[in-house]
Amino acid sequence: MHALLDILTSGALYAAGIRLAVPVFLAALGELVAERGGLVNVGLEGMMLAGAFGGVLGSYLFDDPWLGVITGVVLAVVVAAIQAGVAVSLAGDQIVTGIALNIAVLGATSFMARTVWTDGNVPQVEGFDPWAVPGLSSLPGIGDVVFGQGALVYLAAALGAVLWWVLTRTDWGLRLRACGEDPRAADSLGIRVIAMRWQATLICGALAGLGGVFISLGDIFTFSDGMSGGRGFIALAIVIIARWSPSHLVPAALLFGVCEALALRAQVTSADLPYELLLALPYVLTLAVYAGLVGRTLPPAALGRPYVRR
Amino acid sequence: MSAGRLAGFVRSGAAASVAVRTAAALAAAVAVGGLALMIAGLDPVDAYRAVLDEAVGSSFGIRSSLLQALPITITALGVALAFRAGLFNLGGEGQIYAGALAAVLVALQARGLPFPVLVPLMLVFGAVAGGLWGGIAGVLRARLGLSEIITTILLNFVAFWMVSYLVRGPIQDPGGAGYPYTEKVVDGARLPVIGDTVPAGVLVLAAVAIGAWALLERSVVGVRLKDVGEGPSAAAFAGWRIDRQVILALVIAGALGGLAGAVELSGNQHRVSDFFTPGWGFDALAVALIGRGTIAGSVAAGVFFGGLRSGIDGAQTSVAVPESVGQIVQGTAVLFLIVANADVAVRWARRIRQPGHGRHHARTA
Repeated sequence: MHALLDILTSGALYAAGIRLAVPVFLAALGELVAERGGLVNVGLEGMMLAGAFGGVLGSYLFDDPWLGVITGVVLAVVVAAIQAGVAVSLAGDQIVTGIALNIAVLGATSFMARTVWTDGNVPQVEGFDPWAVPGLSSLPGIGDVVFGQGALVYLAAALGAVLWWVLTRTDWGLRLRACGEDPRAADSLGIRVIAMRWQATLICGALAGLGGVFISLGDIFTFSDGMSGGRGFIALAIVIIARWSPSHLVPAALLFGVCEALALRAQVTSADLPYELLLALPYVLTLAVYAGLVGRTLPPAALGRPYVRR
Repeated sequence: MSAGRLAGFVRSGAAASVAVRTAAALAAAVAVGGLALMIAGLDPVDAYRAVLDEAVGSSFGIRSSLLQALPITITALGVALAFRAGLFNLGGEGQIYAGALAAVLVALQARGLPFPVLVPLMLVFGAVAGGLWGGIAGVLRARLGLSEIITTILLNFVAFWMVSYLVRGPIQDPGGAGYPYTEKVVDGARLPVIGDTVPAGVLVLAAVAIGAWALLERSVVGVRLKDVGEGPSAAAFAGWRIDRQVILALVIAGALGGLAGAVELSGNQHRVSDFFTPGWGFDALAVALIGRGTIAGSVAAGVFFGGLRSGIDGAQTSVAVPESVGQIVQGTAVLFLIVANADVAVRWARRIRQPGHGRHHARTA
């Protein structure tokens, strides 16, 4: 108990919590854009995994983590393009498409890792080390926690702000939401529903891919099979918990991140606690919060329904 | 999630056309797998020939293929039943773990019981444990409206870490030099192999397949499940309590996943470890989708992918075909199947064949 209190009061816990929240936050942000446009993207997990793999591949090939970011995002966007082609253009079932993509990407990334690196011995690559924001990081108390993070954390925060603004304050955001609420009416007003949903899906892929890159390059600097570890599905839950509001994503993702950080810290500091049960904690907590906060949620009215133009 | 569309994905077109489209989608997916093999520097024809040879070329190969096909297919039948009720059971992995865990606990506690009592007891407890695990997602969906797509996946991780804890602690094999697994169950707890080729679990699979078919096509329970799959309004119009059907569907799906775990434990691995399933829950998902939620289709696809998994496994030593090729084939097969069945794609094809007439065929979405 004493040990737990020590962990809960240490700034390092919250610093790690922010770091671990970022991949889920980015993926949830992408999912939110897609869902506001009417597309439920169950392939999120696969897109994150593609990003995690691409990040390591790019950083390995070009010796530069930023080119890893680009590679990861591009791979995830390719996956998103397949999702859009099948589920938006061909009006195939969105959920089945996403499930199929998850399975295929799990296989494809594992396959490519074994093809690029013999026997799947993925090397350590250049990643993102923490970068202290000059001045701010020496603030007492929160300085280290909030302003001593890797560069991608600040990028994620900026992207969150930008997308909040785009979704709620721009013409494009309004049109996208129209496609998610009533695509037929949107179409009759001259909004190109299929094109809007394509854009939303590709943005979703890019953000999920960036989140995936952060899993591999923000922390352990290497790739392992299925390393997205269900975070795509946690992000799906977080979008619902946050009731499709970009600003609500932040506390929801942070809760998950801190919980995961707690599990990892407790594993190191208190050897008497079984670490396996601690590692189950983030999933149990997500379930509990999802069940507890679901209440009255209002998803976009046309969510999950393909649009076929007549 | 509108469940009505799901039913559309399940049964579109006449039986012959369905078989042709499925075969074409599978062939295309196998071709994509071949492309991957070429990228990996293998001759795809040679590699596939080696896989086929390992899968069905000997009685040992056939036995291994059937052993792989059993957990995949039994789980897939549960996924298929839930699918017909409009639900996606992504929780096969966790349900397999729950079933295997219950079965091994029974076998370790009651090791003195004779075979004809012990093995059925293990299978029943496995099914009950899986059913309870699946039922959690069912209750969360029916009572609180939580998406089973999310909850079943999260429950997989919970089950995995629980088993991982148990096999490193309370039920670790005391003579196992610290490996994360339980001790092996006694001979009386093991499903035998009939005549060196056919695992006895095949009989369980046959019983499950016939039972699932009868439930779906010849019972009022099946009518209710399928009505729910047609959409909430259809079920409500027929007077069914939708929440009860949802819970029932996920309990049945979980029970079959649990049974699959128990059969695998009793008939093959004989112990539980935290690497007990290599991903059969997701194989089962793809298999049920490729089988379009039908019993016969799921069995056929399950045997196919069980053979593929076993063949790839066997070929490791001769041609080193990466295991992940199976997942690539599964995932792309489902994608091709969606494309082959998409109304829009069919209409495009028609429009190309009969310029100017396409629009008259347009169905209302």
